[in-house]
Amino acid sequence: MWVGLLLIIVLIVLSIYGAFIGTERAEQLFNRPPLVVYWTALAMLLIIGIAAFRRLLRVPGLLLIHAGCVLILFGGMWGSRAGHNLQNRLFGIDKIRSGRMAIYEGSSNNHVTLNDTREQKELPFSLKLKDFRIEYYQPVYLRIQTRQGRQWKVPVEVGKEFPLSEEAGTIKIVKEYKNLKIGMEEGKSVFFDDPSPGSNPALEVQITEPGGQTSTRYVFELFPGHSHGQDKFLLRYHRVISDYISELQIIEGDKVVAEKDIEVNHPLRFGGYHFYQSSYDDKAGQYTILQVVSDTGLYVVYAGYWMLCLGVIWHMWLRHIFSGFKT
Amino acid sequence: MEIKYTIQGLLVYMTIAAYLLAFFTTVLRRPKAGHALYLLGFAIAVCAFGYRWYHVRHVPLQNLFEVFLCLGMIYPVSLFCRRVLRVGGYSADMLIGAIVLSPAGFIFNAEPQQLPPALQSWLFTPHVAVYMLSYIFMAKATFQAICQLAGKTVSCRGHLARDSRAGRPRHLDLLPPEEATYRIICVGYPLLTLGLILGSYWGKLAWSDYWGWDPKELWSLASWLVFLGYFHFRYMFGKKHPRINSLWAIAGTATIIITLLWVNLSRIFSGLHSYAT
Repeated sequence: MWVGLLLIIVLIVLSIYGAFIGTERAEQLFNRPPLVVYWTALAMLLIIGIAAFRRLLRVPGLLLIHAGCVLILFGGMWGSRAGHNLQNRLFGIDKIRSGRMAIYEGSSNNHVTLNDTREQKELPFSLKLKDFRIEYYQPVYLRIQTRQGRQWKVPVEVGKEFPLSEEAGTIKIVKEYKNLKIGMEEGKSVFFDDPSPGSNPALEVQITEPGGQTSTRYVFELFPGHSHGQDKFLLRYHRVISDYISELQIIEGDKVVAEKDIEVNHPLRFGGYHFYQSSYDDKAGQYTILQVVSDTGLYVVYAGYWMLCLGVIWHMWLRHIFSGFKT
Repeated sequence: MEIKYTIQGLLVYMTIAAYLLAFFTTVLRRPKAGHALYLLGFAIAVCAFGYRWYHVRHVPLQNLFEVFLCLGMIYPVSLFCRRVLRVGGYSADMLIGAIVLSPAGFIFNAEPQQLPPALQSWLFTPHVAVYMLSYIFMAKATFQAICQLAGKTVSCRGHLARDSRAGRPRHLDLLPPEEATYRIICVGYPLLTLGLILGSYWGKLAWSDYWGWDPKELWSLASWLVFLGYFHFRYMFGKKHPRINSLWAIAGTATIIITLLWVNLSRIFSGLHSYAT
């Protein structure tokens, strides 16, 4: 028991230390050889504990808790970088542990850039991106602020005029652009929506002052601070992203074997890998970037989670409910 | 410090006032009036939470303001501990309720935010809710541990309850602080475990890994481990070293406070959970 308590205290100290040094360094720390020895010792101690302490075998809740911890540790080690290397050496299983892949709309790809070494590896199947899109929360608002700090928020509805106040006048959104470009025609600036790949979301806004004078302003989403010194209002156009969606097909040979729209929280599982929406082409929205992760050891960890949860709930709640509280 | 001149702010301040009044009334030996005020405070806290829910159009557990608003609804836990677990500290709960609502009322930003894609998951509510519930239990356990350390003896004759057979009022026995601490931790620990595991499973779905070595994850693991250490120590020595048992419980709650507050507010711990401020 003393050794067990000591190992728990060591892990508490390491966790707190790991929290201070940042995610990347903490990951390196917990995967270093001395820590691999620690994890192994912890797993061994748990197994020995289960075998040596009769109470752990007799009390189902405690057995589930301790066996669950063993599974979590084993699954975690089996799915780690060192675990993948070991499987490669022992069984010749050459599986990608984690990497990223970029896929352009309409094309397919099976090349994965490994996160660890940056080298490229191939998947035994291809992924085709049918479409990538970003969805935004509706309604989108234009925020208006005077230099004195007075603020308004109007929904982006083209053609509708919104009264602000008697002193401020009215505001109207004339046009919504997806990719605003500026050209020159007969010595004058011309604003137009460019259909070619690219993204420059903007609004054309007409401000009518109480005296009836009108002025036109362009509000760019990507350049939020854009204003002139003489401008009466500071305008801000910002859309809040609600989801990123990649419409994917899995292709084996020439056949489409699976299809799924992946989003954050909704990965695609296929062929021993999980595919996650990771990033995208923020300039033109032409490609998506997927995170590819091996599922080795994952279901062992999940089994451990189930056992740990059931064990803790049984041992601390249910058996007391069934038999009355005892301390 | 910022005073919120909004309906939301008003509801928070009314709850704090009701909890404080309930506390002082109880301390001044007017338990019935104290209980009524506590119940009133809880009703206003539920209204504040419901109003926020209606206002932001998602379960309000996204940021620290909303989380502390949720923590302010302490009354059911208080009642459960008293009636089922036979644990005292009822009047202290009123004070705990007022204390946890104060940052929501005076410090945290209440600007409504839309849920980022990562938080749009069925796991969002259960993960945060079980953690909040466990935190309330652990805070109560810590109060008992402090009582134990301070050598305060809780009267074994607790609150009055109606004797179902005789129809007469009778006193319910309350547990001494050390046992009370253990009993509350036994209720809170499975919730802490569930919170950790649900978070890990959610991390796998959202960020591709069930464990990301993020500061918040590591602090939450540390708090889980401290209570695990408490159970091992108490199993080894029983009630032989009650002060050390209490120190374990207090250390556990200290790590919880760091997990909940310091990790989100300090720039030292930037990571995947930084949005939850």
